Amino acid sequence: MPLPLTIAAREYAALFRLPVGWIVIALYLFLSGVVFLVGSLAPGSAATLRTFFGVSTFLLLPVCPAITMRLLADELRSGTMESLMTAPVPDLAIVLGKYLAAVAFLTTMLVPTLALPAILFYASDPPPDIGPIAAGYLSLILTGCLYLALGTLASALTSSQTLAFLGTFMTILAILLVSSVAADQVPQPWGDALRSLSISARVTDFARGVIDSAHIVFFLSASAFVLMLTHVAVESRRWR
Amino acid sequence: MISVREVHKSFGRVRAVRGVSFDLEPGRVAGLLGPNGAGKSTTIRMITGFLPPDRGGIEVCGHDTISRSLEARRQIGYLPESAPLYTEMSVQGYLDHRARLWRMPRADRRRAIDRCIDRCELRTVRRRRVGHLSKGFRQRVGLAAAMLHDPKVLILDEPSNGLDPTQIVHTRRLVRDLAEGRTVLVSSHILAEVERTCDRVIVIAGGEVRADGPPADLSRGRVKPACVVEFKAASPAWLERVAPDASVTLTSLPDSWTRARIEGAGDIREPLAAAASTAGVPLRELHLESTSLERLFIDLIESAP
Repeated sequence: MPLPLTIAAREYAALFRLPVGWIVIALYLFLSGVVFLVGSLAPGSAATLRTFFGVSTFLLLPVCPAITMRLLADELRSGTMESLMTAPVPDLAIVLGKYLAAVAFLTTMLVPTLALPAILFYASDPPPDIGPIAAGYLSLILTGCLYLALGTLASALTSSQTLAFLGTFMTILAILLVSSVAADQVPQPWGDALRSLSISARVTDFARGVIDSAHIVFFLSASAFVLMLTHVAVESRRWR
Repeated sequence: MISVREVHKSFGRVRAVRGVSFDLEPGRVAGLLGPNGAGKSTTIRMITGFLPPDRGGIEVCGHDTISRSLEARRQIGYLPESAPLYTEMSVQGYLDHRARLWRMPRADRRRAIDRCIDRCELRTVRRRRVGHLSKGFRQRVGLAAAMLHDPKVLILDEPSNGLDPTQIVHTRRLVRDLAEGRTVLVSSHILAEVERTCDRVIVIAGGEVRADGPPADLSRGRVKPACVVEFKAASPAWLERVAPDASVTLTSLPDSWTRARIEGAGDIREPLAAAASTAGVPLRELHLESTSLERLFIDLIESAP
């Protein structure tokens, strides 16, 4: 098995062996279920999952930092980072392994929510349009990938899980605010430049059922860039 | 096997390691001995590739620990201080994970895990969670993990930490057995451990090597035998008649007793006893202070700048 997958498999299992993983899943599923009941299943409401995807994207804000906060911070706190970094494992494999585990956990968390469109298909006449639903899930995963990459970076910079959580949360919030509210306040061309970083504008496009390859490239390349920074952060521990 | 050349390491203004050099050969157990904060763990972390030296170089089995770090790390089995482990995993699961990091094939992995579980006496706890184990068992799990890939170089940072006396004896025996065909470096601040386990002692203090050699050779010629006598007399004049040129350190004890430590006169127990008898001085103790590594160790670390 390639080394990143070996590390990812251990980390993924650890997320389920610790209470934090189950708490995150339970809260997310409970809240998304409530949103579905109120927003999509109420009599007279449109047969779409737009409200569910809107709220789910918002829920990623606390969920992703909760998944990533322990990834590297806990290794640093407990001293297991020393065992890991003295094994014949490239630093990039450590970063990728941790990140893949977080992405796999997020994907696993989303799997039970597939019951929601299934219920909608069963209960609605005419059935809902499948395009926006597929685009909605793609949007959730891509946004999650970027948030998880930011979380992995924060986790590599501190041995405190609380700081890693807050650092990720605040960074995502800052990106959301700067690319929307602040972008309207600053003169051109800065406003456009800030708007080009907007996550919410891209999520809105996905929610309309538009799968724009530029948006996919944005999320993937931004995640890759943040992971590259995480690699530098981990590697820098060998320079100090 | 391990070659450390003029290695320096600083953390900010603190110079943790200053020009440390030594070579370690296979088949021997070497002990890195020093007080807390002497630079032992920093030296070990540089050998294992966890920290880079600021200056100097380290080779493990001919591989530079910086430019050929992965090759060097492949040769090393390392037990860090206080044996950090993934507490949520079972003993067997943890060892399996470590073996996978060394990319051992499945059959080899299984054999290696069984072998290490047997050697470290972990059979009774192999399915238990690491977090539920005592400190002694955790230390042994860490040792088993370090041995899994049958490394050419085994580096153990304070391996007896948290072990009970029986486990300490077992670990010492295991470390001696493991030295066959490989290089073992053990760090410790406990003299007795190094004295009993190691063929060679490298005393490190203030980030520098203060002494290097077999335990017996180190104390030879460096430690002067001293006679210790406890007597009851108003004046130590009777002592000075026996050893007029010796260095005498006097300590007052309760009930008018005095302890004298006489250095530089060799073994003068018999003349001392005779002189005390002649002078009518009561004695309650008279012995030759052992020329132990302990004395040498204290002298060496006290001479640190």
